[in-house]
Amino acid sequence: MKSRSPDATVPVAKPGPPSPLINRRDLVRAALFASAASALGPAFSFAQAVSSGLTPAALGEDGSAFLTDPNWKAAFLSDQQNETLIGLSDVIIPATGTPGAKEAMVNRYLDLLLSVQPVEFQRQFVDALAFIDSESQKQFGKDFRSLAGNDQIWLLTPWAYPRQPSHWMEQEEKPDLPQPHFERLKGLIAAAYYGSEIGQKELGWDGSVTHGPYQGCEHSTTAHT
Amino acid sequence: MAQDVLQQTYDAIVVGSGATGGWAAKRLSEAGLKVALLEAGRAVTPEEFTEHMPSFQLKYRNHSPEVMRTRPIQRQCYACMEYNYEWFVNDLENPYSTPPDRPFTWQRLRVLGGRSLVWGRQSYRLSDADFKAASRDGYDVDWPFSYADLAPFYDTVERYVGITGAAEQNEMLPDGQFLPPMKMTCGEIRLRNSIKKTFGRTLTIGRAAVLTQPHNGRAACHYCGPCERGCMTFSYFSSPFTTVKDALQTGNCTLITDATVSHVDMDASSNQAQGVTFVHRTTKETKQIRGKSVILCAQALESTRILLNSSTREYPKGLANSSGLLGHYLMDHVVGGGALGTFEDLKIPPSASPPHRPNGIYVVRFRNTPATGAHPHFIRGYGFQGGSSPSFNMDAPGIGTDYKKAVKLGTYQVSLGAFGESLANFDNFCEIDPDLKDAWGIPALRISMAHGKNEAALMRDAGVTAAEMLEAAGATNIHVTTGVEMPGMAIHEVGTARMGNDAKKSVLNAFCQSHDVKNLLVTDGSCFVSSACQNPTLTMMAITVRACDHLVARFRRHEV
Repeated sequence: MKSRSPDATVPVAKPGPPSPLINRRDLVRAALFASAASALGPAFSFAQAVSSGLTPAALGEDGSAFLTDPNWKAAFLSDQQNETLIGLSDVIIPATGTPGAKEAMVNRYLDLLLSVQPVEFQRQFVDALAFIDSESQKQFGKDFRSLAGNDQIWLLTPWAYPRQPSHWMEQEEKPDLPQPHFERLKGLIAAAYYGSEIGQKELGWDGSVTHGPYQGCEHSTTAHT
Repeated sequence: MAQDVLQQTYDAIVVGSGATGGWAAKRLSEAGLKVALLEAGRAVTPEEFTEHMPSFQLKYRNHSPEVMRTRPIQRQCYACMEYNYEWFVNDLENPYSTPPDRPFTWQRLRVLGGRSLVWGRQSYRLSDADFKAASRDGYDVDWPFSYADLAPFYDTVERYVGITGAAEQNEMLPDGQFLPPMKMTCGEIRLRNSIKKTFGRTLTIGRAAVLTQPHNGRAACHYCGPCERGCMTFSYFSSPFTTVKDALQTGNCTLITDATVSHVDMDASSNQAQGVTFVHRTTKETKQIRGKSVILCAQALESTRILLNSSTREYPKGLANSSGLLGHYLMDHVVGGGALGTFEDLKIPPSASPPHRPNGIYVVRFRNTPATGAHPHFIRGYGFQGGSSPSFNMDAPGIGTDYKKAVKLGTYQVSLGAFGESLANFDNFCEIDPDLKDAWGIPALRISMAHGKNEAALMRDAGVTAAEMLEAAGATNIHVTTGVEMPGMAIHEVGTARMGNDAKKSVLNAFCQSHDVKNLLVTDGSCFVSSACQNPTLTMMAITVRACDHLVARFRRHEV
């Protein structure tokens, strides 16, 4: 019960008509209720017991509805920060053959997340956005959200790869201060994108809860000796 | 609550409905005893399972402020999630204390089935290398029984529960009654072959309480993945839908939920337990229930808390504590050592769609075995759990189209994490905190535990041996961890009411019966004498069945 598994890979069910599993679930539930009721008598019923203490998820609530709310308003980000975030997410994970971070409403999820995170987390995020704008101002005299697409890519790309010490001078490499800011934003944007329905589909999720037994390695018995 | 339920005298009162309480209720009621099964939490139904709910439908995608606010300790366990956090105790209502320099994380569920709803399902037998370890290395004492004494009860439990696994004929990890094993990945087969050839060590597929074929009326696993959110086909073992269900079907078992037991009630004149007092979870009314025997299965620390809160004039230091050892010898497997690497030549992309195997691999303990002899730096040993499979590469460099491609291409990872033996130590203990009560007015625990030098040496060695095994198998980009995590992190807490043959040096006898109070039993992990390094639940269940069969025999001889 120790290690934490990556939630992004958790398979999920698609809405639709009841599956054979659902039918079985109802049957099993009915059988359980019958056996328990006979043993417990009228004073003890599962219906009483489940009247409280259920999570929104256990109650079947779809908590993602706010993402498509036409009256959505940011809970944490300013308009400028929100626009910067949308621009950033669109450059980092653009629509290609598949939808990108903008379509996945990454900004709206991150706004909600930020609204409930500790102050330090919020501060680091806001600082990172402000840093992107300040670098954009230095290079182009404009905020990031006002740059042309190619200029946005040009600005971000050097921070998107690991740094290597200079070959030319035998001196200690100075720490690259911009990179942690960028990596923080990229990491959160990626998590928000791949945690969305669009992102899950990008990763091969097809809505099924089963595709039969786990097959494991299908190579010959001597393939991995 | 119907008063008639509380006005009869039961043959046995079982406190706790998890892995051990479920077995106690089943075994005793099937033997014809009248049983009252008390659970501190509410009942649970498959309706509330969320294993098939898309993660993106969670509003906060597992960062719920409600979880952060009410479960700051429970959420340290991966299984406490936005999906199911109400199964876990509310930390604000269920406090405990620790000394500032001896932190302990205590993961608890109060709901029918307890932690069996969310457990990791790994199921391994102990061997005489564990039960008789003291005789070999001189540390502490042996268990009061041998492997041969417990083996038939392992058989009984495994045949009922359904354990998938593979026989390995390894003396450190006895084989059991296995359902067909789950398949290994390419990387796992490579690692298994490599470490057998290079080091003579055994890697096997995890032995897990998950069905690989229909079994005892339950369906085979459909490989959806997240068992800890429930299973509508009951393919992993959890007590509400197996043992507790069986117990209720006998007509001999009465389930009472929302009953938070505060203490055992004693009849001083006969020196017999005569029942328990509980506080109703919602009404907070105090009630009593009477029984000819009391079996505590509330989880190691909770059962001991009940006993410590049951002091009488005759037992001023806690009930069944004439030895003075109640609460002492708390153990929890040490974790933190291991290694992570990649098999760069295995180019198999991951997928977010099933099948997802709810199981890993296991490397059998190879230190301080009869074959390897004594290690110079530590006693006892550790086993590794882990796995090797492709995973999405969110950390890929770059942006744009290239980044999206790299994420999906993934990396083929391989990892091993150790679970090491936590030595029994008198100075690791729990006691009642005189200044702290829970929301029901029941005095709370102060837990004082720290891992020692031997545990640190185990994890250091585990980091080294994990790395050497990954390297030998051709892994690259290897990262090693050699630290020691906070006690409680393994969620394998055992001890605090140890068994033994000497009443002055133990709390319970070899059948989990109190030395002091003959109709009082404790059959959960409290009774463990040592922690070994194997996941403890299977052994707890086997011990419970053995203890219950012994109790039934005493009933039949009219000794109770």
